[in-house]
Amino acid sequence: MENTGYTTLTRQSGLLREMQVIANNIANAATTGYREESLIFAEYVKQVENGPSISMATPSARSISSLQGGLQPTGGTLDFAIEGDGFFLIEAADGNRLTRAGSFSLSAAGELATHDGHRVLDAGGAPVFLPPNATDLRVAADGTISAEGRLIGQIGLVRPLDPNDLIREGGTLFRTDVGTEPVEGSRILQGFLEGSNVDPIAQVARMVEVQRAYEMGQSFLENENTRIRETLKTMIR
Amino acid sequence: MRALKIAATGMTAQQLRVETISNNLANMSTTGYNTRRAEFSDLHYQQMARPGTVNASDGTVLPTGVQLGLGVRPAAVSIHLAQGSLSATNGDLDLAIDGNGYLEVTLPSGQSAYTRDGALKRSADGLIVTSDGFSLVPEITIPADVRSISINAAGEVFAYFAETTEAQQIGEITLAGFSNPKGLEAAGNNLFLETEASGPSLVSTPGQDGLGTLRQGYLEDSSVDPVREVTELIEAQRGYELNAKVISAADQMLGATAQVR
Repeated sequence: MENTGYTTLTRQSGLLREMQVIANNIANAATTGYREESLIFAEYVKQVENGPSISMATPSARSISSLQGGLQPTGGTLDFAIEGDGFFLIEAADGNRLTRAGSFSLSAAGELATHDGHRVLDAGGAPVFLPPNATDLRVAADGTISAEGRLIGQIGLVRPLDPNDLIREGGTLFRTDVGTEPVEGSRILQGFLEGSNVDPIAQVARMVEVQRAYEMGQSFLENENTRIRETLKTMIR
Repeated sequence: MRALKIAATGMTAQQLRVETISNNLANMSTTGYNTRRAEFSDLHYQQMARPGTVNASDGTVLPTGVQLGLGVRPAAVSIHLAQGSLSATNGDLDLAIDGNGYLEVTLPSGQSAYTRDGALKRSADGLIVTSDGFSLVPEITIPADVRSISINAAGEVFAYFAETTEAQQIGEITLAGFSNPKGLEAAGNNLFLETEASGPSLVSTPGQDGLGTLRQGYLEDSSVDPVREVTELIEAQRGYELNAKVISAADQMLGATAQVR
């Protein structure tokens, strides 16, 4: 008898999680290089003794949208956007990370770094050193950096060997455990940043949907509550 | 109900964006001001099911897992270094820097500060100082009987005296460059202080070592683009409203829960 309640409960807790994902997407609608996240629900079937099997809902996986975010011109010399597939390679304390947020600055040592101080790596996996006071710093579409016409390095673009193996970490960084491969055919644009690829309209629509579904679940639970109470009353009488 | 707190981080972030924009707009006419831009990055993630976890019932490996984000945080308010347009003032002690570099001044504490505001003045004892009275480094004194002053692109200061026709060099203005000028600490009054992130100053003659040249009789305008700021403001305001919407939706869900019994 109480299975009805439990089944609805799995749906309700799943909806709460989904609401959290939507809230996170909307909160990050202005985050450079952020990629929209969504939850995928799956059926969880359970065989019960002397009766038909019941199925519950469980969030089983997530997907990260790989849509291109809008390109915003900033004019900054050290602002880069990727047009197409691929990520910038970033060095963190415990291994390399991937990011689409190309808003970089120079470290005190003259190396290209993120705002959190992690170094940006070149195609060969070494830090990118820029000469101090370089006036004419240009980055071509393939990532080659030149200062005053002199070639000084190349920013590398990589992607994980398994596109699903992207683990989110704070700071718009992704970790991958399967290794990376270089990307060909994507373009690096200097003076642009890739905005968040969250579609606010779709998120709000989804939010309304989740909210209504949640209320529906609650009224269902409420009906169940009344039904059980009535049954008990009848039985006691 | 974490959605409430997540949306709150979103509202705080958009508010910071509005604050940055309003500061930019307030400094639309500040000499040598550079646009600031708030940048954000996502907060940490809560791992509900780590990708790669082995599913106990049939031994398959979860390909993506479930991760729940916890909101947004401000990553940086970065200075967007751009050359402001030069406006002619014809003042003989008005200097604009065309290119990289900062003028170095001494604060009353003896510390060095750096500025791009070249609206210089002559103090009572003849020193070249900023509008706030801080003297340039190296100090240059203008003798009392000088008729006019000329400063060339390389920073050499020449004085014309009443009795002679030939100019006489009385000093040289140098510029300071930094390997990471975005790392300078803004101290107000158009002044910047050296930090560990900016690296030490590299002092040189204007026009050399990648530094800009000086233009006498001009001042550098603020590089704020009002049209951009206003579009950005609209975006920030709508973003704020969306986050507020999430809070009210989450609140209604909680309300629905509270009604059941």
